[in-house]
Amino acid sequence: MSKRFVGWTMASVFAVLLTAGQAAGQGTAAANIPRTADGTPDLSGIWQVMNTAAFDLEPHQAQEGVPAGLGVVEGNVIPYLPEALEQREMNRANRDTLDPETKCFLPGVPRITYMEYPFQIVHTSRNVQFLYEYVHAVRHIFMEGEHLPGRIDWFMGDSRGRWEGDTLVVDSVHFDPQTWFDRAGNFHSEDLHVVERYTMVTADRLDYQVTIEDPQVFSRPWNIRMPIYRRAEENMQLLEYECYAFDDVFHPTPGQAPPTIDQFREP
Amino acid sequence: MKRRLMASIRAIAATAAVLSLVTTVTIGGQGRNFQPPAGGPDWTPPLNAYGDPDIEGRWTERSDITTYSIQAGLDDRDEHTQIGGQRPQLGEPIMTPDKKIPYLPWAATFADFLHEQHYGAWTGAYLDPVSRGLLEGLPRLHYQGAMEIYQFPDYISVSYAYGHAYRIIYTDGRPHPPSNVKLWMGDSRGHWEGDTFVSEVTNLNGQAWFDIVGSFSTDALTMVERWKFSGPERIDYEVTMTDPNAYREPWTMGMVLAKTEYEEMWPSEVWEGTVIADTDSLSIRPPQ
Repeated sequence: MSKRFVGWTMASVFAVLLTAGQAAGQGTAAANIPRTADGTPDLSGIWQVMNTAAFDLEPHQAQEGVPAGLGVVEGNVIPYLPEALEQREMNRANRDTLDPETKCFLPGVPRITYMEYPFQIVHTSRNVQFLYEYVHAVRHIFMEGEHLPGRIDWFMGDSRGRWEGDTLVVDSVHFDPQTWFDRAGNFHSEDLHVVERYTMVTADRLDYQVTIEDPQVFSRPWNIRMPIYRRAEENMQLLEYECYAFDDVFHPTPGQAPPTIDQFREP
Repeated sequence: MKRRLMASIRAIAATAAVLSLVTTVTIGGQGRNFQPPAGGPDWTPPLNAYGDPDIEGRWTERSDITTYSIQAGLDDRDEHTQIGGQRPQLGEPIMTPDKKIPYLPWAATFADFLHEQHYGAWTGAYLDPVSRGLLEGLPRLHYQGAMEIYQFPDYISVSYAYGHAYRIIYTDGRPHPPSNVKLWMGDSRGHWEGDTFVSEVTNLNGQAWFDIVGSFSTDALTMVERWKFSGPERIDYEVTMTDPNAYREPWTMGMVLAKTEYEEMWPSEVWEGTVIADTDSLSIRPPQ
């Protein structure tokens, strides 16, 4: 544990040296990005993707209510095992009722990143917090310590971060098997392993690369990649999107309208 | 018969409460109700790099408040003391003479109605929003679990251990969103007054409750929070509620927050997918 800590410390010293080198005029675009006191890129801010990955990670033509998209999967096709591909097709055919997002489940990783809602990164002295407007989802990226012993079913996983130069690398395991990657039925098992790489290319753009691994479902690891943009509006702030999962579950006695708050108010 | 049973349960609960207090006192030290001392006349808060009092860290409420009911007395908490052998929590955070919310008459009647709904609801909308997987809101999150605070030049971030709630309290003087933009957590703006961080919360949707049994407001509610950094490990927190549509006058809740050691804040999903809503156990009120 303490050795690991020394390792991290050495890594950050390296990062600072690397940054110093870049600042000294070695001419990378990353020289003009904001940085924290310890020299790492300061990811703080409000960010959002601009693509159609939430509908379908793979290339797709337009359907009613779904814009067309060139896809974000390297090589275009997700390498499913044969049985898993059948499952994906079944998921896709029944997506209106089966997609866990329609049941208000947390979207999981990486789907939460490319939901069509902004998210805020709070880059603290201790961890990197991702606060999402969509269903107030949260990820705390712990920069110290190792993955917890499993099995744990967490919708948003157990995320451990490290810096490789100017790239925040987030390694996540311990996922709940119920989430999907998109509305098109792309899915995973509890063996999902996600490695995300957030690289600040300019002050207002992140390069987001993700490697997805799950030997129960895919024949090999595969990658997605997309830019994430800073929301530049003046006074931009997160608002809320709550999901009302259970309000349709309860039904009043037939023929009896429940009293409303207005009936209690004085005229 | 039933009344007698309730009376004896009440007596047992009261005894248990006293015993629990005695136990706490006997054990002493860093128990769950241990309140760190104020700093004394010579103490001044440590400052951060921006020159503001440095309150970064993990904080936990230490005034024995239960989310079951914030109002005084065991009446509201009878059922609480019977569920799963919970230790009665007797904190009385409301700083009015009778320790109760000064509802307007109609609102008092509606609060009683919500309390009754707890035993069998007409509709899900009359059950605790937290039991429906919705945001717990303020200030209830402060007596539900720990919070992690970080400070930046333009804002303070607060992450809550319960239900993965969070808030950003901007300190850069920006305006609130337009008043028709209503939010479960409201919209917070803050500034420092000496050793006290003052945050004003507006744009509240009035849907979040202050406790399980339905202490409520309308969407006319505004809050002013005062976080007095009064000792190295102590914040005296007060929040004043103003809602002319529901309350006769503004009222204030007070509690002590204690600084505790950092620990990783793990995911705290409330209902999302982990539990199938058990509608059978929620009786639907028969027509009356």
